[in-house]
Amino acid sequence: MDKILRQSLLYDFYGELLTEHQKTIYEDIIVNDLSYTEVAREEGISRQGVYDLVKRCDKLLEEYEDKLQLVEKFQHTKQMVADMKRLAKEIFADLDLPDDGAKLDDEALLREKNERMKQRLEDIIAISTEILDTF
Amino acid sequence: MAVKMRLKRMGYKKHPIYRVVVADARSPRDGKFIEEVGTYDPNQEPSVVKFNEEAAKKWLSNGAQPTDTVARLLKQAGIEK
Repeated sequence: MDKILRQSLLYDFYGELLTEHQKTIYEDIIVNDLSYTEVAREEGISRQGVYDLVKRCDKLLEEYEDKLQLVEKFQHTKQMVADMKRLAKEIFADLDLPDDGAKLDDEALLREKNERMKQRLEDIIAISTEILDTF
Repeated sequence: MAVKMRLKRMGYKKHPIYRVVVADARSPRDGKFIEEVGTYDPNQEPSVVKFNEEAAKKWLSNGAQPTDTVARLLKQAGIEK
């Protein structure tokens, strides 16, 4: 994952646990994409000072994540919901499939279609069960 | 005028989307920018990087300095001066 994205997500979850001063500087890095040198100039502190502070914040935020795993759970859940959405769309598309001239009473075709939908619905049920078990 | 090409975070909490903007280097915090030259959406798999290639090239050849992250995105999009 991109460093700035990782920092942004950690900050969104645990940023309130930092001090006001830490928040101001960390936001400059992740919201405004400023360099250490630029932050140093804005804050009137040394570049080394900014570097140390950002590293310290990175470490603090990663420690919170180690203990709570909110970002990981969030991303995992998001991925699973995306999978369910895709499955639901596939079922939807399958419903609209033209029968290619086949008669509706073509039992083999219907059975096949049914089987596909059943498989996808089972997948959706399995994924939602996993999500519910996470919380 | 010294200008930089940097990211600007948009989107909402836990869903960052970035614009790539060209802005005056002297007042990096004020949020004002001169031109938007691209977007970066890391929420999709794989992440989506879009550039207005012509504008990006124009600014780069006029001496706009990309930040480290933007430089990486430009490289990823195959844009050079």
